[in-house]
Amino acid sequence: MHEMSYAEAILENLINLAERNNAREIKKAHLVIGELLLINPEQLEFCFRAISRETIAENCTLEIEFVKPEIRCVKCGKEFEAPAGVCECGGFVSVNGGKEMILKSVIMEVD
Amino acid sequence: MHKIEIDAEIDLLSENRRLAAENRKFLREHGIVAVNIMGAIGSGKTLLIEKTVEALKGIRIGVILGDVICRADYERVAAHEVKAEPVNTGKECHLDAHLINHRIQKFEDVDLLLIENVGNLICPVDFDLGEDFRVVMVSVTEGDDVVEKHPEIFRLADVIIINKVALAEFVEADVDKMERDAKNLNPEARIIRMDLKKDIGFDEWIEFLRGVLNVSGNSS
Ligand SMILES: [Zn+2]
Repeated sequence: MHEMSYAEAILENLINLAERNNAREIKKAHLVIGELLLINPEQLEFCFRAISRETIAENCTLEIEFVKPEIRCVKCGKEFEAPAGVCECGGFVSVNGGKEMILKSVIMEVD
Repeated sequence: MHKIEIDAEIDLLSENRRLAAENRKFLREHGIVAVNIMGAIGSGKTLLIEKTVEALKGIRIGVILGDVICRADYERVAAHEVKAEPVNTGKECHLDAHLINHRIQKFEDVDLLLIENVGNLICPVDFDLGEDFRVVMVSVTEGDDVVEKHPEIFRLADVIIINKVALAEFVEADVDKMERDAKNLNPEARIIRMDLKKDIGFDEWIEFLRGVLNVSGNSS
């Protein structure tokens, strides 16, 4: 389960950001996650809940937006849904993106 | 009290990338070739490392062995009188650049650093350790659909080892299909059919290592 590593990175960055902005509470975090990272959102949520207990991110909602990689044949340009390796035309199918995890924006309460 | 929204735009994977780059720099500076060996539990990673250490006597080798909690693999490898370090990840199913960063200094005098990742075909995929080569080892006993089920790890490998091929007929696994799936996902990878118990393919692996280490075959 690699979700725990990601949950830790999310929490650490949220707390840093909150401290820099003198926030009291973190309400919502918007995340952009590449589909190829194979993150299970329920597990990510579960891990995040467990480690954020008794922090200012305790009640923070994770809003997850998944983004697709661009998978296409380098020869004929045909698009694919999943990494397919080789296209029927014989061209290699290249994969771009789909591996990002960006903390896009954060909503927090400040005094 | 009032609410504010902040445009964070923070890349959460950048910390691992930064540490991996740091590891890579250290390895380069000390002329160390690092190989990250991934594969499921029971695929044969530890035996591969034990045999490699024996076959390359004369080359200075270090081994980092990742494990969730136990030290069994470490003890097996350390018995071969090689510089070895166990890494317990605790709850995690993969090594990351940070875990390697803590140990790497101890290996500054080796030529080859073998890193046995935690037995798992999913979690290690996205954690660059700073290695030079990524190796994925699967065995035919995992089923001949194991490659197509885990495209990412095979897509990003430099070497794909299909182990225990001598058992293929007994477990009704189609090795040709496994090789075809691997080649389809990753036409650039070197694919080695292996059976460590029957000495199949091991020479090809040693030849690969000697090639990347730039040493001749007679030093053993
Ligand atoms: Zn095509």
